[in-house]
Amino acid sequence: MGKELELLQGTLDMLILKAVSLGPLHGYGILLRIEQISKKRLEIQQGSLYPALYRLEDQGWIASEWGESENNRKAKFYSLTAAGKKRLAAETEKWREMADVIAGILGTRPEEV
Amino acid sequence: MRRMIKLVRWLMSRRKREREMEAEFHAHVELRAEDLIRAGTPREEAMRRAKLEFGGVEQAKEACREARGVSFAEGLWQDLRFGGRMLRKSPGFTAAAVISLALGIGANTGLFSLVKAVLLGSLPVPNPQELVVVRHADLEGTWEDYSYPMYRAMRDKNTVFAGVLCRAGQEFNASFGGESERVRGELVSGNYYETLGVSPAVGRLIEPNDDRLAGEGAVAVLGYGYWQRRFGGDASIVGHDILLNNTPIKVIGVTPPGFYGTELGRSPEIQVPMMMAKVFKPVPGNRMENPSHSWLTVMARRKPHVSVVQAQAAMDILFHQELSAELSASGASAHEREKRLALHVRLDEGNQGFAHMREEMERPLLLMIGATAMVLLITCANLANLILARNAKRRQEIAVRLAIGAGNGRLVRQWLTESLMLSAIGGCAGLAVASWVRTALLGFLPQGQAMNLHATLDWRVMAFALAATVATGIFSGLAPALQLAKTNAAPAMREQTPEVGGGDRLWGLRSALIFAQVALSLPLLIGAGLFLQSLQNLRSVETGFTKENVFLATLNPALNGYSPERVKALYGELLVRVRALPGVKAASLTTSSVISGGWDQEGVKVEGYTPGIDENMSPNAAVVSTGYFATVGIPVVEGRDFTEQDSAGHAKVAIINETMARYFFGMRSAVGKKIGLDGDARTPPDIEIVGVVKDAKYVRLSEATRRHFYTPMAQEPRLMDLTLQVRTGTQEESRRIGELVKEQVREMDANLPMYETTTLEVQIDNSLAQERLLSWLSGAFGMMATVLAGVGVGGVVAYSVARRTREIGIRMALGAQVSHVLRTVLGRVAVIVVAGIVVGLAVGFWLSRAAGSVLFEVKPNDPAAFTGACVVLAGAAVLAGFSPARRATKVEPMVALREE
Repeated sequence: MGKELELLQGTLDMLILKAVSLGPLHGYGILLRIEQISKKRLEIQQGSLYPALYRLEDQGWIASEWGESENNRKAKFYSLTAAGKKRLAAETEKWREMADVIAGILGTRPEEV
Repeated sequence: MRRMIKLVRWLMSRRKREREMEAEFHAHVELRAEDLIRAGTPREEAMRRAKLEFGGVEQAKEACREARGVSFAEGLWQDLRFGGRMLRKSPGFTAAAVISLALGIGANTGLFSLVKAVLLGSLPVPNPQELVVVRHADLEGTWEDYSYPMYRAMRDKNTVFAGVLCRAGQEFNASFGGESERVRGELVSGNYYETLGVSPAVGRLIEPNDDRLAGEGAVAVLGYGYWQRRFGGDASIVGHDILLNNTPIKVIGVTPPGFYGTELGRSPEIQVPMMMAKVFKPVPGNRMENPSHSWLTVMARRKPHVSVVQAQAAMDILFHQELSAELSASGASAHEREKRLALHVRLDEGNQGFAHMREEMERPLLLMIGATAMVLLITCANLANLILARNAKRRQEIAVRLAIGAGNGRLVRQWLTESLMLSAIGGCAGLAVASWVRTALLGFLPQGQAMNLHATLDWRVMAFALAATVATGIFSGLAPALQLAKTNAAPAMREQTPEVGGGDRLWGLRSALIFAQVALSLPLLIGAGLFLQSLQNLRSVETGFTKENVFLATLNPALNGYSPERVKALYGELLVRVRALPGVKAASLTTSSVISGGWDQEGVKVEGYTPGIDENMSPNAAVVSTGYFATVGIPVVEGRDFTEQDSAGHAKVAIINETMARYFFGMRSAVGKKIGLDGDARTPPDIEIVGVVKDAKYVRLSEATRRHFYTPMAQEPRLMDLTLQVRTGTQEESRRIGELVKEQVREMDANLPMYETTTLEVQIDNSLAQERLLSWLSGAFGMMATVLAGVGVGGVVAYSVARRTREIGIRMALGAQVSHVLRTVLGRVAVIVVAGIVVGLAVGFWLSRAAGSVLFEVKPNDPAAFTGACVVLAGAAVLAGFSPARRATKVEPMVALREE
């Protein structure tokens, strides 16, 4: 297990969208999924998860529905909407480009300038 | 309403969402705890850690609420809750604002209920806009009544009306079950209710069939109020006879509640068919066929699609045809003919019926509306000022809100919400004030009139109150809110003490409001001064009589069908009986009691006096019994009083007042001279003047003294209604005497009602109703305006001191004199107040002219009233400004500097 990284500003939304794109999840499930796919290298403030969920729902990118959890507990499940799918694609594209640019800049050697 | 439902639904779903959020967080913690337990953590420890990891639940909730976005309704809810908190936080401010608003809105609403009833009310009948009043004025502009033949022609020959009704007033002595009273009645045409479109509450109403032949149709319809009061709303009275002026009349029905006939304030209690005039208004010959006997007022309902102008043109032609035929039949001279045919019928909107009361009360009501509107404006200005003062204190809060991203619009909305909340609370409290003001206003009206006014607080009044409330909220909140929106976040936050030096907008705005308050308050105070002075003058006017301890009651035995001899005998016996009652000092009868509002005038000729052309030869006249002057306390200055010897068989005598004596006889003695009442110039004057009495006020306190003569009751052939006046030794006795007198009257004739029982003092008081109302109202408003202006000035001075504490501290430290500091602080405020007073004086000069006609012995530009108002207002301003200004001089330089 590597060192836990603090989340970059503005990336939580993207991670949530990605997490629910793999199937409907409740809040705690989203937390677990992100931990799982990041191999526990990302730390998410639990308190900051829900405002993000509410904001995304308000913007219409995810939808919620009450259901039963795997151990028969009532929980609210979030799933990706059509608009959310598009948004995720756009965000992913933007992130890749950004990462590319940043990586390019950071990878620059003195003789290249 | 839909908005309300939406808001309620939103509030309910808000609860639901809050619960869901709670459940969701709870589920999260539970799920986490279960995972931990599965990993081997003990249950309790697992719960603790799960909660800990989740963090602050409340913060998360708040963040979620914010994340969800703010809907309009939610924003409103937030504004309301926040506004509520802010208002609770400063109870002093809230109380001051609510009280002044409640008074302002309440006074306006209460007055509006009266205005609505008097000036705006329509007759409670279907389609009142179709009704017109048909009338014509004589050459002097006085409205003339119509004869029955003229009415009949109008009714039967017109092509423009769906119906034409006529009516005439009629006094009744009404007896039932051994109790009799005098009631206000009316003779109405058979189509009266049909034309108005009124249906009965009980039984049936008068129909054309009841009104066919003179003297037939002995039926009566009771007014709803009278039926309730006299018969306790018992429907079984229908079908029974009551005794009207000693004639049995069958009650056939009751008019609906709220119906007040065709004239506001004169609601008829009993109505009988027009044809009963033969019985109730007996005249020689046939009244119904006599075209020269005018006694009817006429209203009509237009056919749909016929305009007032069309109807008027048609009726004018009809009127001239009839008049022309009438004049030919009577053989009128060409001159007379020309004069009569110059008259024209005029149709006026009849939706309010006949409107004597409206015409009479219009001016005082408009004056009062002006005053109350001014008070409301002052209240608005005051509230705006209070809010501005509070904004200064809330500067930092405002700055923080702006800094964390509140838009200007949002901020303005918040501020308007707060001021609207204030005005809403004020408006609700104002309704209580309004109901009280309404009762007080009605209390000022002469008795009887108030009873018939439908000055209820109905939906129109509520709508008015609502409009006033919203307008007040917006007026008083908008200026501060807009001023606020201009606030720049950064400097305001940085600033710990208010900026030094003048020139900021806030100060300008507040000064403008103070200026407006002073300029509006001064005319109110001037009005108060004028009206109080006028009332004082009326109260202290030399009346010429002694008003204390005189009991008054009126009787009209003639209505009961008594012969003239029997009437006279009854009056004589009454005097003997009353004079024998314990405590009675003097008793007498008269045709007119002083300050009762009406008086007879009679044309006279005077021995040795040749009147000029158009000279008024009609002094006031009263027929009085012996003992009249002693009862009223008018001294005989020359000659003698009437005695029992001045009776029918003896020489005719008269007593005149000093003004009449001086007018006709100058310095010579009037006693022994003769006057005559006979219209024929050839018969010599035959009434000897035996005495001269002091002048008095007769009709009203404000009148100029008129010529007056008295003749003895015993020499009058025909007596109608007379007022009994009884002087007692003490007030106590005058209170008790009423019952004793009533007892005597009942013993003589149980069917003879005694009415208008009162005392002379009350009668005089009632005659001053309008003056009292005006001075009381303007006094109350003036006081209120002054207090509000004082509060405003005090607030501005306090603000100015707070703003300049540092500057003052530095000045004091550098050795400035106290007087200098005071001058600095008060100087600018004083300039504003003085400017307000100057403008207020101008407004006062301009407005007071409107009050001229209702003032007594006070000129509208009375210097005392104007000076007094200035002194009061300036005094209030100085008092209000002085205490905060004193505080400025107590500033410790070191403290002031450290305040940074």
